[in-house]
Amino acid sequence: MTASVLEPPAQTAVEFAGLMKQHQAMVFSVAYHYLHSRDLAQEVAQEVFLSLHRNLASIQSPAHAGFWLRKVAVQRSIDEGRRRLRRPQVALDDVAEPAVAAAASSGDPMLGETLRKLIATLAEAPRMVMILRYQEDLDPVEISEVLEMPLATVKSHLQRSLALLREKLARRGLGER
Amino acid sequence: MDWLEQELRSALARKEPPPGFADEVAGELAGGARTVVAWPSRVTGRWLAAAAAIILIIGGGVGYRRHRGIEAKRQVMQAFAIAGGKLNHLQEHLKEVSQ
Repeated sequence: MTASVLEPPAQTAVEFAGLMKQHQAMVFSVAYHYLHSRDLAQEVAQEVFLSLHRNLASIQSPAHAGFWLRKVAVQRSIDEGRRRLRRPQVALDDVAEPAVAAAASSGDPMLGETLRKLIATLAEAPRMVMILRYQEDLDPVEISEVLEMPLATVKSHLQRSLALLREKLARRGLGER
Repeated sequence: MDWLEQELRSALARKEPPPGFADEVAGELAGGARTVVAWPSRVTGRWLAAAAAIILIIGGGVGYRRHRGIEAKRQVMQAFAIAGGKLNHLQEHLKEVSQ
């Protein structure tokens, strides 16, 4: 595809609003699960959409917009994490959960919270790999494209992270049921 | 998919941003446009006025000190001239006495 779908100004505003409505949960959630702060996630998501608005002319299709937004959300979240110079320590205890999407959790809320806390302790690369795998449902090939990371590294991060989570859950008596 | 992966999908399910998020982004976009049109903004104008006042005060102080320096120099030169005149007069008087 070569032509922008977003050329006429009036149409641009409408399509920008549409893209935002369609992708805001994805962008916000990538930042939220990575940074573990609603305020920071909101800031990052806002920056991502402002950046989209500046770059609308280069967006070639709705699918391209989704891919672009995911990639920028990932990069901005990592940048923000580095800028804060702190690993996202678990600050969820006294923070209310944001509104959960309609199709969300059917799992154990306590276990879910524990898992989010444990993922927050992972290093930046495996943390983002896990978010893209289990939030975005991307397969390892897609994750390697988004993160520009070798496929073998992605698979390694997934295996090691899962093993680590199993071990930590078992230590807390939250093993396989 | 095993139980842990299912739990991970639930734990990391997408979440909606807080209500009003879209309005905030729209506000940022509108605010950015206003900033371009209305330069200098009220805040920028205040800073410019404050900077101008500071420059005037500092400049005035420097000018006043320079003026005082020139005046002091003029007075010293005048004192030298008077003293020189008196010395000349005294020297002539001494010559007359000695002759």
